[in-house]
Amino acid sequence: MKFSLNWLNDHLDLNDLSVTEIDDLLTFAGIEVEGIETRGAAIDHLVVAQVISSDKHPDADKLSVCQIDAGTDSPVQIVCGAKNYKVGDKIPLAQPGCELPGGFKIAPCKMRGIESHGMMCSASELGLADSSEGLMILDTDAAPGTPFADIVTPDTIFDVEITPNRPDLLSHLGLARELSALTGRKLKSDIAHYRSSDDNCQPAESSDIDIQAPETCPLYSGHFIRGIKVAPSPDWLKEKLEAVGLRPINNVVDITNYILHQTGQPLHAFDLAKLKGGIQIRYAKDGETITALDGESYPLNSSDLVIADSEQAHAIAGVIGGEDSGVTHSTTDILLEAAYFNPSKVRATARRFNLSTDSSYRFERGIDPLQTLGTSKLAVELILQLAGGTADPQTLISGQVPAAPADVPFEHNACHRLLGHNIGDDKIDSILTSLGLEPDGGDWKIPTWRLDLSRQVDLIEEVARVFGLDNIPARTVGSYAAASKEDNTYSANRNLRDQLVHQGFYEALSVKLIAESQLSDDPATAMKGGLVPMRIKNPISDDYVYLRPSVVPSLLSIAKHNVNHGSSALRLFELGTVFSATPKGQAIEQSSLGLLITGDREPTSWRKPQPETLDFHDLRSVIESLCPGQDIQIHPITPQPGCHLALAAQIRIGKSKAGICGQLTPARAREIGMETPVLVAEFSANTLNTARSTERRFAELPRYPASTRDIAMEAPADLPNSDIEAIFAKIDQKLLESYSLFDVFSDPSGEKLAADKKSLAYTITYRHPKRTLEQAEVEEAHQQILKTLSKNLPVVFR
Amino acid sequence: MLDELSSIQSDALAAIESIDSESSLEEFRIHYLGKKGRLTATAAGMRDVAKEDKREIGQKLNEVRTTITGLIDTRTAQLDAQKDAKAVAGIDPTLPARSLPQGAGHPLSQMLNRAVDTLHQLGFAIAEGPEIEDEWHCFDALNTPEDHPARNEKDTFYFDSGKLLRTHTSTVQVRTMEGAKTLPVRIIAPGSAFRRDEIDATHSISFTQLEGLYVAEEVSLADLKGTLEYFFHSIFGKDTELRFRPHFFPFTEPSFEIDIKLHTAGKSARWIEIAGCGMVDPAVFEAIHSQRKDDLFSPDQVSGFAFGLGIDRLAMIQHGIPDLRLFSENDLRFLNQFA
Repeated sequence: MKFSLNWLNDHLDLNDLSVTEIDDLLTFAGIEVEGIETRGAAIDHLVVAQVISSDKHPDADKLSVCQIDAGTDSPVQIVCGAKNYKVGDKIPLAQPGCELPGGFKIAPCKMRGIESHGMMCSASELGLADSSEGLMILDTDAAPGTPFADIVTPDTIFDVEITPNRPDLLSHLGLARELSALTGRKLKSDIAHYRSSDDNCQPAESSDIDIQAPETCPLYSGHFIRGIKVAPSPDWLKEKLEAVGLRPINNVVDITNYILHQTGQPLHAFDLAKLKGGIQIRYAKDGETITALDGESYPLNSSDLVIADSEQAHAIAGVIGGEDSGVTHSTTDILLEAAYFNPSKVRATARRFNLSTDSSYRFERGIDPLQTLGTSKLAVELILQLAGGTADPQTLISGQVPAAPADVPFEHNACHRLLGHNIGDDKIDSILTSLGLEPDGGDWKIPTWRLDLSRQVDLIEEVARVFGLDNIPARTVGSYAAASKEDNTYSANRNLRDQLVHQGFYEALSVKLIAESQLSDDPATAMKGGLVPMRIKNPISDDYVYLRPSVVPSLLSIAKHNVNHGSSALRLFELGTVFSATPKGQAIEQSSLGLLITGDREPTSWRKPQPETLDFHDLRSVIESLCPGQDIQIHPITPQPGCHLALAAQIRIGKSKAGICGQLTPARAREIGMETPVLVAEFSANTLNTARSTERRFAELPRYPASTRDIAMEAPADLPNSDIEAIFAKIDQKLLESYSLFDVFSDPSGEKLAADKKSLAYTITYRHPKRTLEQAEVEEAHQQILKTLSKNLPVVFR
Repeated sequence: MLDELSSIQSDALAAIESIDSESSLEEFRIHYLGKKGRLTATAAGMRDVAKEDKREIGQKLNEVRTTITGLIDTRTAQLDAQKDAKAVAGIDPTLPARSLPQGAGHPLSQMLNRAVDTLHQLGFAIAEGPEIEDEWHCFDALNTPEDHPARNEKDTFYFDSGKLLRTHTSTVQVRTMEGAKTLPVRIIAPGSAFRRDEIDATHSISFTQLEGLYVAEEVSLADLKGTLEYFFHSIFGKDTELRFRPHFFPFTEPSFEIDIKLHTAGKSARWIEIAGCGMVDPAVFEAIHSQRKDDLFSPDQVSGFAFGLGIDRLAMIQHGIPDLRLFSENDLRFLNQFA
């Protein structure tokens, strides 16, 4: 909301405070200042002038030579560099003798040989904006030669954010009252003037005002004024409204807006000629519509409160008036409404129509009920003054002024305790009193504008706010906190991340919502699965529709981005939550680790001008490095149709299913810009971390030498290595320590080896823990192994 | 014999010049000093030397032996030096490095780690909660009015089931207090929060938050101030200026926003908002109290403070990152800057 410093000054003398001081004052009161702008400028020799002509400077491409009407007998010649004006525009002209903010003095001069008798100014040159482009084009009727200070009174405008708990600050009077409490300065205006007195009121007949919904509209008042002349407002009123960003309309409407910004009480004026019969405050009928002052038609329902005559709705209560009964230039008689509407109904209706008006903004936060009748009186006086006419002697009222807030019990010690500092009972009392509260026994009486103060803690907040946290000493008393299960998870995940980073991986963090088209990038789609992805009911765009069931889809789009930007090698991981639901709709959140590698195995360098390409076996190295010493198995699976993996396998650690890995189809790889294999893997982070945290036990270091034997065998080309390992695992031979594959050979041409065969070479290591082995026992053990392998597998030893 | 010794010495001096390998040096050694070498053979003649000449000849013999041994030692050293030089010949140490694998942790992870480390020092333990939440934990229990705009489908992501994506990590406050067995509760909860915002340089639909909560019998604003001052001084440096600005949140009372003074080269210093905090509103304790069967969180008996930090914001300030979207884009050229 915008506040004019001049307007605030009407209520409270702030003249001796600098803009920065007022900024600080507001900030520490909890009122966030979002912007400060300056209006008008009291600068001598600065006048309104009009551009008569503009021609190109003969010797400078970027300059123009203008003839300017500055109210003098003959035009003034100005050389100008700006481009944003046209002939006929009015602009501020600094004449010789003028000193601009910043100390720049204007004098006649020659620019590239052409005389210039002043300077046409931009808003920033006049100190009215931090930066501006081009000249300040004036929207004014003022004649050329009018001093600039006369068209806009100098003022400072604070654009502030009022928090929802402080509707009492949504007016100049309200903010002045707050500043009065904070500075100890007396308000100039008499608040009582704006506050209720029902001395001039008369209960309305129900034929005049009929409140059919007292729970939503506890108080409604109407004042008849006849014979008025609707006309433009006087300058002082226009200026006040313009200062806070409102466009003046006519004297009656402007007065209601003025009162609203002055006191926070929304008012509405109906054209009496358009009303048929008395006023009814009722719920709308289903199917009823109203065309409002904004020209829009709103379909109403029975939860919307309307102000109606005997035939139709003329206003959505507290939100907006109807177009039909609005005040126009032909209006002569009006009904002035001042009412109190309960916040929640106004809020519900305004929200449903996505319509926030100055009026609804205040009603839905809560207005001061004690002001309603007083402001009506104030408005009537102003209308008579500015638009003439005759007002009824009394305001018609229906309903009751809502009760004042209840007293709040308060204990000084509770306040000291919550602050953590004894600031003295007197200090507390003086703060509360300055805010308009009154002691009442042990309790405090709450002013009617402070709807937010209903509990002791609300009062403590006021004390803390006004006293300031700066003035409370800081305390650091820690207490012992045992590490939680989540602490352990956090540090396990951190270790996992660190390890991958040290292996050359980049950590990605992506938005957890993905597009529907990305779902098929989930490697789990390679398997028949029971879980379903979770769809957002109200997505913000097609790019973010599903909660990600996997981190791999995001890794693929990140890969694509980086390939597009020239990366030829990628090692990416992301560790974070993935989401899915059981078929019954139960949400499941899990922590998942995704890996993606593709491209060159190492950066191109003078050592390796053409590095090799990463392949599935590199991925497997990474997988195994994450669980050193663990039994990691890769179980190939046949990918389901529609999934983007050409090669897929389940990862198991011991007996646990730990994840899935695979290689993208070349078609999908090409879509992200890669001609080389793109490898992905995804783990359950918990399973992985459990395996990683297996407790280690010391094993005696081998003291006696080992003995090794190599074997080479011919096997069918499609025999998986895991079949061979499975047999090794079953062999019961105490001397067998380990085996390792050191060569795989195949020859598709069939010359050296049949094309449907491959040759595998293993080194087998034998060792006895207690002594050096004899050749004979090694030979015996080796023969047993050869026999077992050839018995269980379609292999021939070479 | 003296003549013989002199000629051995001069021969050796001449011969050493052409020695250019370890093997020829070994031959040289054997030729002169070996069992059957010239000097050894000549030395054997000592026994036939007249007694009065023994002294002179003995001295000469030693002199020749020392000379030859010296020649061998010198040449050995020269040959070793040649060999060492040869071993590294042709290496240009100024050639570019052969790079080791280098990755980088995400700047948000790094900032989160720092924040968590600092709060661990202060005795906070991590707590967690689900990202898919219900209205009770996200709003009701946190004293958010029934018709608060945050509950709107315009601002919050919902599921058909009525569940929602949590709009803040404050949900973990509620879950922790519901499940706590004893006081004090002293937790931090890092995690994602979601808002239905249009994405631009300063808005995202998800961001990383860190929630803090301390509840005990008598926790005060002074504790809140001490904790957060320590935190921000640890993260941004001891000289960082902080201010606590009164604000409004439904779940704390009193509430404050914290600003730090940001100094950017070429610009005047300005205050920027960095966190929200406050004393837990008794209405929140009341909500917890009504869910529990005991009085552990009875609003009359406990007080507490809570705070929420935007990790994204801390990282932006720390590194001078201008646009939130850089965090989710994951461009390697960006990530590399934080390696």
